[in-house]
Amino acid sequence: MAQLDKWTETLARGIARSSSRRSLLAWLGGTLTGAAVLPVLPVSRAHAAGAPGAAGEARPPITSGDPQDPGDRTQCDYWRYCAIDGFLCTCCGGSVNACPPGTEMSPITWIGTCTNPVDKRAYIISYNDCCGVSSCGHCLCNRNEGDRPPVRPQSNNDYNWCLGTESSVYNCSTAVIVGVAPDRR
Amino acid sequence: MRSTRLRLVLAAGLASALVAQPLCAQPYPTPLAEEPIPNVLVLPERYPASWMIVHDFNFNALVDGRGVVVDTNAPTAPLKGWVQVAQFGNILHASTRPELYSAETYFSRLARGERTDVVTIWDKATLKPKGEILLPGGKRQQSVTYKNSFQFTNGERWALVSNFTPGQSVTVVDLENRKVLGDIELPGCALIYPTGERGFTTFCADGTMTSLVLDAEGKLASSVTSTPIHDIDNQPMFGMPALVGRTAWFVTYRGQLRGFDLSGQVAKEVGSGFTLGGADGGNPEWRPGGWQVIASSAAGHLYVLMNPAGREGSHKDGGTEVWVVDPAKKARIARIPLQGVGSSIELTREARPRLVVARVDSVIDVYDAVSGTFLHSLGNRVAFNPQTLTAVE
Repeated sequence: MAQLDKWTETLARGIARSSSRRSLLAWLGGTLTGAAVLPVLPVSRAHAAGAPGAAGEARPPITSGDPQDPGDRTQCDYWRYCAIDGFLCTCCGGSVNACPPGTEMSPITWIGTCTNPVDKRAYIISYNDCCGVSSCGHCLCNRNEGDRPPVRPQSNNDYNWCLGTESSVYNCSTAVIVGVAPDRR
Repeated sequence: MRSTRLRLVLAAGLASALVAQPLCAQPYPTPLAEEPIPNVLVLPERYPASWMIVHDFNFNALVDGRGVVVDTNAPTAPLKGWVQVAQFGNILHASTRPELYSAETYFSRLARGERTDVVTIWDKATLKPKGEILLPGGKRQQSVTYKNSFQFTNGERWALVSNFTPGQSVTVVDLENRKVLGDIELPGCALIYPTGERGFTTFCADGTMTSLVLDAEGKLASSVTSTPIHDIDNQPMFGMPALVGRTAWFVTYRGQLRGFDLSGQVAKEVGSGFTLGGADGGNPEWRPGGWQVIASSAAGHLYVLMNPAGREGSHKDGGTEVWVVDPAKKARIARIPLQGVGSSIELTREARPRLVVARVDSVIDVYDAVSGTFLHSLGNRVAFNPQTLTAVE
């Protein structure tokens, strides 16, 4: 599993450095059918809006402290969450780029491209799920720009991507920077 | 010591009650009847036409998903009972046998341990499990509930279960003899639309659809793949269609309606499809929105949940109106404004059908499907996350 993790990480960072989102998706769709790079737990924004643990719940903001990475990481409108779908790990004992203690980070992820509103760069964001502990239940967030039906898994956020982990039980989702899309800097 | 004190207290209380209210002044001379213990309710084997199966996806505890039996015509007590549909599960309601089936996943230590994928057979009257069929390989598809990842074929004698590892396949299950018949590999294809007597159609990532015929042993007998018919980029179809007879009506993210005849061995598109049209009030435009966004009536009318804030990425946001369409005339015949933002819709199969709307706030509302009149609400007392609705046929 560690090898798979490393392979996936290397793959994602390599892709991030060398391709745009469109070519990334085309590449994934063309070569990785049945393999391993894609999204997160699915949830409708509708439900996100109505659920007690929705991202709009009252809670103090958690920010990076870095003016180049602005925004409240407990809120669905934080820039890295442009294609996320699930409970935000920042509200679950983890952080924007780390899983909560006791979970296992999925090596298989959906990779989105989100624009940082301050430095205007397009970053490749890897939405690794955290698995093996029951639903976090806090800060449910779903954004569906570019989402397509399950017939195109690499563009669909309805699947549970706790695959390649010891348990497929979903807990929360991270949003990890793995690179910059070169043609959108 | 504690029990002695308790007895004294109870005795004192009883005595004071007797003193305070002598029997001659008791306005209720007969005490309430004793009640039997144990006492567990039982449902009818055939559910009334006002009932539905509501899949409670239960986001906040996905391991504890539920298939809730609901009387949509009983606002004071709509919840009749439920069965487990664990961990991204699916539920099927049989019309030929008094049984429900759930395709589900368990771990031996709740969220860890040994994984078990299983089709559980539930007695519709007692809601107790009466059997199970273990699914091999730990590969059952886990996703937000699409009814079309678990479907009947072969006259409800078999079920088809979607797998996703992310390699895609379908497991054929013999429900009558309670055994797995085998797997059909389906690289690049997703979801199951029962076709013909013993087979199904699936949509594929290259825009084609493939219709498969199964032999008597559940093995692949033949398959036919279409030319590309699905523009996944610009006119993607919602995954769950509404059935009018054996014609499956799909709606696209941008509001086109397309019918596919599934009665023969090979799915065939019916006509050329048509658009739902527009309306005032769209900002920027009306588009279908929600989860289970299209439903049908026995009369053959289609009902589509519509979002006035339609744009790229709005397709799961829910809708504020239901538009009624006559596919025979390719015309919209009514608009039904909703009490709140709906996420999933379904019609009962009652003589005068009711439109049931599961809202984003988990409230379920009921309308007269013919007039569009709001009838009553079931409140949010049925399910935490009413994801899909299935009418009792």
